[in-house]
Amino acid sequence: MKSINLKENQFIQFHQKISFKFDGVKYFGYKGDTIASALLRNNINLVGRSFKYHRPRGIYTCGIEEPNALVQIISEYSEPNTRATIKKIYEGMEIESQNRWPSLENDFGSINNLFSPIFTAGFYYKTFMGPHKKFWKNLYEPLIRRAAGLGKPPKDFKGISNHIHHNVDVTIIGGGLNGLLAAKSFINSNYDVLLIDFEEQLGGIINNSNKISLIDNKEPKDWLKETIQEIEGSKNIKILKNTLVTTYNYINHLIAIEDRFVGSKPIEGKVNSTLHKIRTGHTILCNGHIERFLSFQNNDLPGIMLSSSFEKYMCRYGLAPSKEPVIFSNNSNSNSLVYSLIKAGLKPKAYIDSRSGEEIEPNLFELIRKNDVPLYTNSQIKGAFGNKKIEKILVEDSSGALNEIKCDCLCLSGGINPDVHLFTQSKGLLDWDEKDLTYKPSKPFQPTITLGSASGQFNFDNLNSDINEKFKTFKVKKLDVKLELNTNTKYNIEKLWEVSPQKKSLWAKSFIDLQNDVTTKDIRQAITEGFDRIEHLKRYTTNSMGTDQGKISSINALGIVSDLLDKKVNEVGTTIYRPPYAPLSFSAIAGRNCYEFYDPERKSPIHSWHLKNGAIFEDVGQWKRPWYFQINKDESMHDAVQRESKNVRENAGILDGSTLGKIEIKGEDALEFMNLIYTNSFTKMKQGSARYALMLGEDGMVKDDGIICKISDQHFIATTTTGGAATVLGCMEEYAQTEWPNLKVFMNSITEQYATFNISGPKTREIMKKAFPNINFSNEWFPFMTFQFHEFNGVPIRILRASFTGELGYEIYIPSNSAPKIWDNIQSVGKEFGLAPYGTEAMHLLRAEKGYIIVGQDTDGSITPIDLGLSWMIGKSKKDFLGKRSLTRSDTIREDRKQLVGIIPSNKADKLEEGQHIILDKEIKSPVPMLGHITSCYYSSTLGHDFALAVIKNGHSMIGTKAYASTSSMSTTGVDIVKPVFYDEDNKRLIS
Amino acid sequence: MLIINCPYCGPRDQSEFSNGGEAHVKRPDGSKEIGDREWGEYVFIRANPKGLFYERWVHTHGCRKWFNCVRDTSTDEILVTYKLDEKKPNLNNFKSVVKTPSGEPEVGSGNFTVEK
Repeated sequence: MKSINLKENQFIQFHQKISFKFDGVKYFGYKGDTIASALLRNNINLVGRSFKYHRPRGIYTCGIEEPNALVQIISEYSEPNTRATIKKIYEGMEIESQNRWPSLENDFGSINNLFSPIFTAGFYYKTFMGPHKKFWKNLYEPLIRRAAGLGKPPKDFKGISNHIHHNVDVTIIGGGLNGLLAAKSFINSNYDVLLIDFEEQLGGIINNSNKISLIDNKEPKDWLKETIQEIEGSKNIKILKNTLVTTYNYINHLIAIEDRFVGSKPIEGKVNSTLHKIRTGHTILCNGHIERFLSFQNNDLPGIMLSSSFEKYMCRYGLAPSKEPVIFSNNSNSNSLVYSLIKAGLKPKAYIDSRSGEEIEPNLFELIRKNDVPLYTNSQIKGAFGNKKIEKILVEDSSGALNEIKCDCLCLSGGINPDVHLFTQSKGLLDWDEKDLTYKPSKPFQPTITLGSASGQFNFDNLNSDINEKFKTFKVKKLDVKLELNTNTKYNIEKLWEVSPQKKSLWAKSFIDLQNDVTTKDIRQAITEGFDRIEHLKRYTTNSMGTDQGKISSINALGIVSDLLDKKVNEVGTTIYRPPYAPLSFSAIAGRNCYEFYDPERKSPIHSWHLKNGAIFEDVGQWKRPWYFQINKDESMHDAVQRESKNVRENAGILDGSTLGKIEIKGEDALEFMNLIYTNSFTKMKQGSARYALMLGEDGMVKDDGIICKISDQHFIATTTTGGAATVLGCMEEYAQTEWPNLKVFMNSITEQYATFNISGPKTREIMKKAFPNINFSNEWFPFMTFQFHEFNGVPIRILRASFTGELGYEIYIPSNSAPKIWDNIQSVGKEFGLAPYGTEAMHLLRAEKGYIIVGQDTDGSITPIDLGLSWMIGKSKKDFLGKRSLTRSDTIREDRKQLVGIIPSNKADKLEEGQHIILDKEIKSPVPMLGHITSCYYSSTLGHDFALAVIKNGHSMIGTKAYASTSSMSTTGVDIVKPVFYDEDNKRLIS
Repeated sequence: MLIINCPYCGPRDQSEFSNGGEAHVKRPDGSKEIGDREWGEYVFIRANPKGLFYERWVHTHGCRKWFNCVRDTSTDEILVTYKLDEKKPNLNNFKSVVKTPSGEPEVGSGNFTVEK
């Protein structure tokens, strides 16, 4: 294909040369060129290999609808599947073709084309079934993935994008003729208007074709300039250029993506793209139409192009991809290409029309006659042929005779469709137009207005009346624009979807979806196999399932199917167009919510001390908690945890418990409210005492636990699990508002207002005495499960005597700001007693030794307090509390429920693991009846062996018996089922 | 994305709210004897109609107030929101507009064929 530059063009700066690399070779283009136009300028048309058969493919269109020319932009984090027809070039750009190896010219995968007769619809489903399931995962899938596909995913992606929200009255999508007229109506009105166009220059059809000769008796160019100036000057209209609307959601919510670096390389660290989230009162769709192609043998050869795209290259890019293209059409839309070519001093090699001579527009007829263009009416192209490019075509003329025409370019037009993607995304209804042979918008579902060709009006005669009628609801001035056309015609089309090949061959291919390599034969086969519903057919053949969503071909497929089924197209229906309209990158969707901003990190007030003291952190929800503290780099986690836990048992340890949820509950009816929320009864509880409490769901299952401090009947402080804090507060608020609005009670989170230190171990009292010399920590003054308010160096603190380790312990609650100072003080006075920090892992080990559960680890939403052996915590005399009635449901009183027990290996040297199944038989013979599983498991240096907590069927009555734990190597470990408490069963240490 | 009219704060983005399932489900009175069936239905059974539906929402990232609404589940349109202590509106006051599954187009949807 030999292209020529047309001398003058307002959009291309011919004086500004730009160099870029395509597959390693340097080429030149001009400022304003897309990759496609620059490649065509260099007479390159082979730009990629197809998805399945690795057939050579060229540039088919000149816009967003491009199915073939997808390239990888090496110079932009190796961005794959970029449409060459819209991406602008810049100096130093590096581009690579896709899906070829070792090179684009000699692609090994093109061998697939030889085997193509077997790669028909459903090939993968039928072929790769056996001999074993594993073959798919290990052999077939990796092979197919390597062979098929498009670009490679970027490796090191650093694109930054941001999000902008808009709230406007009217959004106009598309800045072509109708979009500009719509915007013009709103100039200086009281409406907030957003005008969005995908291109850098507004104008659409005015820029892309020579269809219009005069607007208001002015050159279209001049009218455009004036109109844009007027719109730009209007304060109520904002214009977004280089912005593509990809999504039309409910309640007129639009999503649009703006490219911030058009024609220049994105700067690292700068925002590359902006995602606009638009909430609008009305949406006016002026997004025009898309030309469709036609199916015949080898309709995918490089050198074949849509005719309106050819014209767009001439008008927008000052480039004729070929000096003498052949034109094949079944409609009047390609008339203006003939006009444009002749105006540029070029001439089509032949004009082939499937319509009869009478139907062809007289002025086209005249133009063709006058310029001596060979004309074939009532004719069809049977096939195109050539090696990696089109070289000749076979034309069947009206007499049935075959003519061979040598050519380097073929322009196709199969008719035009309104671009209905956004309209259908908005849930608007479509209707088939039997005359224009396309689906057109009919009933909108939202306040959506369609104008111009987007509404299916392919002629310009009702321009003013249509806009004025549809804008009746707005208080705007009426339009009166005069339009004159170059090719003064009404849209006319004859039905033609495909031309059958001259010779029947297994290798003859007429494509219906270029991107996914679907042929018309695949469609026939699918229907023969019974996939005659359009949504089934789409999935079976993958027709229109590419990234282009079959923009130039899906209507053709419907036409072919309707003929095959002998149904009307309206009865066949369309598949559903889903957002996004065109692919957008994940980085654009993520915006700034990535890397360190992906999720907030919550840190305790003591965090910096932990950092300095060798803490290894664990994520608990959003919190960073010290998992364990390394005394030196060589210390393993196991050693650290054993050291920390031993120290707690022998001396004393301190845990930063600041992440524990804390909720303050106040109000006249606080006592009654707490009695309803938790299982325990707080009525008889003394002021200043604390209680371990359980919260259930209405289904009777344990949802959370914590310690409740009763300050008075009107004032409580509850702790929750670290992960459950928000849920528990939410639950309290819900019940206070929805079920018991009569109760006067308020609650608030004080989690972040207070730091919590848990100090425990036999030497704790000594340390506390020294750290807080004015407080009496004796058993008489400060018994177990009581709390006291004190002031320490002017800081109000609350000390609770409680323990999660089984040792004598205190929890100190301190306002967060004062916490680090007191923490440091405790560290320094504790030194002589061997006080050391411990992390969450040692805490888990210590609590498991005592048989204390962790909600969410030892319970899983299907465990009741009775299952846990915590019946004593249920206030049975209470009339009601959350989930009370569920504790006597038939399911919760079942005898064989899974219940919490302790597990120790019969042979103390054996190891256990979390998640192991507990079974009755030593031998594993499938099916194995499963009793339950291990929920927590640790090695205890205090006990000298592994031990575990487990939930097993009827566990309470199995205590004292033996069972087995299954291992991953299909063997078993003998275990003893014991009470779930392994240390200090009498709680002597707790109350010492 | 919906816009939900919080009865306390006014119209806000859906992302500020959480859904709380069917509204006007009465919690049985704990001070009285509750039958297995009555309690089971309260805990486990919720309606899931296509069309008009009384629903609870909470303005989680806002005033944290619970409120009720009528939502058309076939279009997701929220027709009215009202405070918990307000009377529930009569569903006959509203029309469920779309007859098709999940609001797909009546014509031109591949989900079903128009019968002649």
